[in-house]
Amino acid sequence: MAVIQRSRADKTGIVIRYVVLAVGALLFLLPFYLLVRNGLATEQDITSPSWKLFPSSLQWSNIAELFNNPAVPMLRSLINSLVIAVVQTVGVLVISGLAGYGLARIPFRYANAVFYFIVATLLIPAAVTFVPSFVLVSSLGWVSTLRGLIIPGLFQAFATFLFRQYFLNFPRELEEAAALDGTAYWGTFWRIVVPNSKGFIAAIATITFIGSWNAFLWPLVIAPDQSAWTVQIALSTFLTAQTIDLPQLFIAATIAILPLVVMFVFLQRWIVAGVERSGISE
Amino acid sequence: MSGARGNGFNRRQFLIGAGGMAAMAVAGCGSNTGRSPDSGSSGSKPALSQWYHQYGEAGTQQAVERYAKEYADATVTVQWSPGDYDKKAASALLTDGGPDVFEYGNGPSIDMVKGGQVVDLTDLLGDAKSDFTPSLIARMTYQGKLYAIPQVTDMQLLVYRKSLLSAAGIQPPTTVDELLAAAKKLTTDKVKGLFVGNDGGVGILGGPALWSAGLDYLKEDNTFGFDDPAAVESLRKLRELFTSKALLLGAPTDWSDPSAFTQGLTAMQFTGLWTLPQIQKAFPDDFGVLPWPKLNSSTGAPSVPVGAYGSAVNAKSKNVDAAKKFIKWLWVDQADKQLDWAQSFGFHIPARKSLAEKAEKLKSGPAADAVKFVNENGHAQTPLLWTPKSGTAYSDALNRIIKNGTDPAGEIKAVKAIVEAELQRVAG
Amino acid sequence: MSTVTTRLRGRHDRNLWFLIFVGPFVLGLVVFVYIPILWSIWLSFFDAHNTVTPANFVGLGNYVDMLADSAFRSSLITFVVFALFIVPTTFVASLGLALLVNRARFAKTFFRSVFFLPTACSYVVASLIWKLSIFSGVRFGLMNTVLGWFGIEPIAWLSVTQPPWYWLVIVTARMWLQAGFYMILFLAGLQRIAPSLYEAAAIDGATGWKVLRFLTLPQLRATSTAVLLLLLINAFQAFDEFYNLLSSSGQYPPYARPPLVYLYYAALGQGQDFGHGSAGAVILTLLIALVALGQGRFLGLGRRED
Repeated sequence: MAVIQRSRADKTGIVIRYVVLAVGALLFLLPFYLLVRNGLATEQDITSPSWKLFPSSLQWSNIAELFNNPAVPMLRSLINSLVIAVVQTVGVLVISGLAGYGLARIPFRYANAVFYFIVATLLIPAAVTFVPSFVLVSSLGWVSTLRGLIIPGLFQAFATFLFRQYFLNFPRELEEAAALDGTAYWGTFWRIVVPNSKGFIAAIATITFIGSWNAFLWPLVIAPDQSAWTVQIALSTFLTAQTIDLPQLFIAATIAILPLVVMFVFLQRWIVAGVERSGISE
Repeated sequence: MSGARGNGFNRRQFLIGAGGMAAMAVAGCGSNTGRSPDSGSSGSKPALSQWYHQYGEAGTQQAVERYAKEYADATVTVQWSPGDYDKKAASALLTDGGPDVFEYGNGPSIDMVKGGQVVDLTDLLGDAKSDFTPSLIARMTYQGKLYAIPQVTDMQLLVYRKSLLSAAGIQPPTTVDELLAAAKKLTTDKVKGLFVGNDGGVGILGGPALWSAGLDYLKEDNTFGFDDPAAVESLRKLRELFTSKALLLGAPTDWSDPSAFTQGLTAMQFTGLWTLPQIQKAFPDDFGVLPWPKLNSSTGAPSVPVGAYGSAVNAKSKNVDAAKKFIKWLWVDQADKQLDWAQSFGFHIPARKSLAEKAEKLKSGPAADAVKFVNENGHAQTPLLWTPKSGTAYSDALNRIIKNGTDPAGEIKAVKAIVEAELQRVAG
Repeated sequence: MSTVTTRLRGRHDRNLWFLIFVGPFVLGLVVFVYIPILWSIWLSFFDAHNTVTPANFVGLGNYVDMLADSAFRSSLITFVVFALFIVPTTFVASLGLALLVNRARFAKTFFRSVFFLPTACSYVVASLIWKLSIFSGVRFGLMNTVLGWFGIEPIAWLSVTQPPWYWLVIVTARMWLQAGFYMILFLAGLQRIAPSLYEAAAIDGATGWKVLRFLTLPQLRATSTAVLLLLLINAFQAFDEFYNLLSSSGQYPPYARPPLVYLYYAALGQGQDFGHGSAGAVILTLLIALVALGQGRFLGLGRRED
């Protein structure tokens, strides 16, 4: 009797849980739907007094109009975003990977001091130094160049922190197989450590890529020239323009998130690993 | 280094330092100058970079590029800047990569002038000086020196649908109370009576509310201008409007865009002169224009805000003389280009009297009314000594009065304290 | 000479190798992070209107002004109110999602993906959907349409302050963007709990809430601490959605104005008052650092186990 009751309660519980999950999932997907719906609608559909779930007709031409709009260099900005995100991802992996390994493994009297020097920057909010940063980078002549967009973003204290924590827990036995003379650090790193850390590197790579693709502040500041716009800037241009073309704004936003959505669908394993890493304290 | 550091990880912002202040749109700080890296001369001609904000009308960018190309004595590269242009330009002036020539709303700010960031242009006008609209010249002048050449006059005004007003049996309002009554009467299930911006007028009615009560931001002697019962009364009216349920709020576009009006969301809208071509297209001959009405039959006068982008020269420019010559050529000598700029892409009023008379499009209909308002009811948007800090204090106060219903008298006192401190700082 | 060089290079050239591995990163950090930070601190002691190379030293004047500035103080209060609300709600929401997804027997991956997907969106995109579609103040806005079914008048969500509906817009946008991210962290924590513990609990007859209260939550302690810290720091840095949702025509209302937005307008915007802006930013930094350091020990920053 008791057993039967419990299983009935269990079943009710399962049903309730799935109802909650389903409703939650619908709510979480709704904004994506609105993005696509408005992007493929006419302005009249969007602003019609009675709200419709589906637009009266799908305006695929909105996409062509967007790419032909001379005021918003959509294709160029997509290419810029891609180049920046790829170069920055590779750069961060190399620079922070090396630094993380050095901090974790190479005995150096002041290693801890260097580490604190790096971690301390994580406590400082970006706004504090924003203007001097711009002045500094512009004095290098890097305004509206890919250099200006990419290089300052290559030095990610958080990535270095994560790499160091990871390498601290890297199995020493693997490294000890390699000789312990000086040059071994370089060789060990590339031949033993990197090939055995592919999962972790992929995780850091994906979250770096996402961060780079979605970055807004720095590209806005350092790349006023259309030729150097990233896709987020092109989008914000639409939002802040004197007049707003609603369907084009939404289709542009849809296209801006598309690459990451595709990434999320196909590379989710690595992204999840990257996110987990960022929150793991031990 | 926020932004830069933020690039990698900031989005989900688990990164302590990199901050998700991304949109921290310090919109600003632009600095592509369009100049070659060595920034000197290309061949024998000096190279100049010229900055504009993004004008909404189609064809404007091509026009300024064409003007620049026609200039023979220098190679001028135009930079067209969408987004928050004021911030971008102001930040760029800090660097060596700023523009040579740039436009700025109502001329350079008082701190730009006092900081020596812009060049004295007094001698460029010559005999033409008397031809420019005096209020614009005055607005761009500090201690007898002119720091910008007005390019074109812009103004804001009230537009209304004639057919909707006559259907409701309403005359165009001439006092704020009549406007309020009209807005209420025009409000239906589908259409609101009046649109003054999604913030309830905080952004654009601060000036008209003072002028319509016979006051101003600052008095003639540059002291605080609206510690006055009429201002209290006038600001209270804005609150009344906000709570009347006749105001359109939360529209997809703001007051500067004609969409709310042309899509039929509102029967009246306070907007810019630049929207008239689109409104004309949507409702040919079914719209009229008005100034912001006077407070009541016994107090104040109707008013419209008038402003102008002024062309200025960056003091850090490596070719100051060439830049000055170019400005003189474009905005003083080339009358036909100035007329083209004002006329070909929507309705603007030339900054010079002789040209305003030639402007065909401004001779009839609502556009002609607008010109009349500028001459009879025009006020400079804000005075030169009204600093951004004063502006923020006033708009904060307006927000609290309009949206929260706080007491205008107390808010005005608080604004006065900040404004007086700013006036003292600027004078010092 | 050669002995000095040898000493500098260290045993087995270790110092040299440390330099090769860590040097490029540290150099970049100095140039692109430390120099601007020091520059900013220097600016905070000067009257720096429209200049970043000021000459007029004012000592602690800017700090005194900022602390006396009621708008700045109210922005700090806004932040505290915002943090007190968003941190616990996001915490509970993401923990709830994680518990639900973790116990799902089928379609588990599907639900995890759906809740995680908003992480792909930028704040710009989310603000756009929230402002122009869901919480549009006019009749065709989604929420107002729903309200219309019940005969309720449209609400101008972002324009009215009584009641302060704009918080609903800001908070839901942030929840949508963030909940899935922290859900992943909690899921990872849940998976590290040994199944044997649950079996032991079942044998003891513990069910439902008791298991959650006395087993799951204590086991998630480390994850919870990390999530709380990250949530708090993110709240401190709030800017994107506030700016994109509430600013209009270069203006920002005095409500829902967190410190970074205030500093942005006062210093980095048209104000160009870098002295006061930098002073405010330094005050803010000290506050954030205090909070972060207060919790930092839970993260075990800096432990080097070799």
